[in-house]
Amino acid sequence: MARLLPEGFEELEPWVSEWALPTQNRRWGRRLASTKEELTAFYAAVLPYLERILERADAHPLGQLPEPVARLFDLALMHAEIAPNAELYDGDPNVPYSFEEQRFIAVHGNDEH
Amino acid sequence: MRAAAEERRWAKTYPWLGEDPVPTESCISQDVYEREVEKVFKKVWLHVGRVEELPEAGSYKLKRLDFASTSVLLIRGKDGVIRAFHNTCSHRGNTVVTPEGEWDNFGRKAAFSCRFHAWTYNDRGELIGAQEETGMPPCFKKAENGLAPINCDLWEGFIFINLAPRPAQGLREYLGEMGAHFSGFPYAEITHSFTYYTYLNCNWKVGLDAFSEAYHVNTIHAGSFPGTFSTGLQMIKLLGDHRTTAVCFNPPKEAPPVAALAQTKARGSLVNNVQQTILPPTLNDEKRDDYAFELSVFFPNWLLHVSEGIWFTHQFWPLSRDRCLWEGKYYVKPPTTHSEKWALEHAVVLQRNAWLEDTATMEGTFFSLLSGSKKFMNLHDEEILVRHGYHVLEKYLSAD
Repeated sequence: MARLLPEGFEELEPWVSEWALPTQNRRWGRRLASTKEELTAFYAAVLPYLERILERADAHPLGQLPEPVARLFDLALMHAEIAPNAELYDGDPNVPYSFEEQRFIAVHGNDEH
Repeated sequence: MRAAAEERRWAKTYPWLGEDPVPTESCISQDVYEREVEKVFKKVWLHVGRVEELPEAGSYKLKRLDFASTSVLLIRGKDGVIRAFHNTCSHRGNTVVTPEGEWDNFGRKAAFSCRFHAWTYNDRGELIGAQEETGMPPCFKKAENGLAPINCDLWEGFIFINLAPRPAQGLREYLGEMGAHFSGFPYAEITHSFTYYTYLNCNWKVGLDAFSEAYHVNTIHAGSFPGTFSTGLQMIKLLGDHRTTAVCFNPPKEAPPVAALAQTKARGSLVNNVQQTILPPTLNDEKRDDYAFELSVFFPNWLLHVSEGIWFTHQFWPLSRDRCLWEGKYYVKPPTTHSEKWALEHAVVLQRNAWLEDTATMEGTFFSLLSGSKKFMNLHDEEILVRHGYHVLEKYLSAD
């Protein structure tokens, strides 16, 4: 069976099906649909790999990632989406004391990656 | 909080603005709203786009202006000139470009043909054909039935329109010193953009005012920018009807791991120290080390912020006394690597979250103002840009 992620990142494979998402809207929606426990577990799982993921993705020209690396990079983008929640908002999946997030429309929100 | 602020330094710098409380009626009165539309929004120059949104001949942008019950159709002609028209057919008044949704539409057409009866206009808004033209009466002159033009002009690649048939001032004169202050920033080189918008159940000024001061930062942004901003507003300049200030801060000494990594990879971010400035000499003329970004309000409804490597805007469009459209746009240089793209995603997410914090108070503020229980708002010295906004607005509303 073909690997979901490049060699060396096997430990992150269980996260791929639900967290490797190619658009900001889908990543935003995933965050809003997650629990504090899921969000902080994802943050902790990816954090030790983050610099290596970026190095691995930088081995390819921008926008030209082979499938397994593209999935890996999508995990990093998802991590950027939830990092403020983990680092600044005590794991709250929402932005605390904020406007209703679902009412914000991102014009770029369905662009890939 | 800030020693300088406690001394009411801005009231002393601009004593002619006074220090009286500001009537809340301005935000809740239907009469004031109607006068704003007639005396401000239908009279002054309004920012409606960027030249990059219309990249080629035939490129168009359709922007709905509810306060004027019209949609402006911006078209780049084959001659490169951007022109503005009412999106209204000369036949029976249908929309020429059929809008999709409430928000801006973009596209490119060789000719603009009304769906109703196929009356067709060229890139200069001239009527070039109608179905079964020979059936029109002899008094009908094609040459006199182009799209109704709207005054349109450019400044630094920003597209402005003026709905008045004969504007009292040209765009340059209208922008005055504010135009000079913000000229020379490389807007056209920093065009990779992220746009968010939403419809807010509040008067447009309640929204605009919330972004026109930094007094809220320690409270509203305690989540997204904890301990970041500390030195407040500096170098405030009230330039005609417009206003600008530097927002200064010292970045937090220790960022959490992902934020710290993003800062090392970013091409541009608010929380990012850079060695070489791209700012024109008019900005940060005191050469402060803690300069973060310029916060400005172009009267009546547009905020332009510039910083090192990025710039961003807010705009509040009145839809009615009770409702407005907010648009937030964030511009950076396009990323060149995946790690830059990742850092940019982090910066944009953080900025979006801060805007979610900013917009959180607006509907609540407006709802409680409607109670009429508070006739005045009591402005702090750090909110002098808000005060100036009401001062300028009153000048327009009391004019003949």
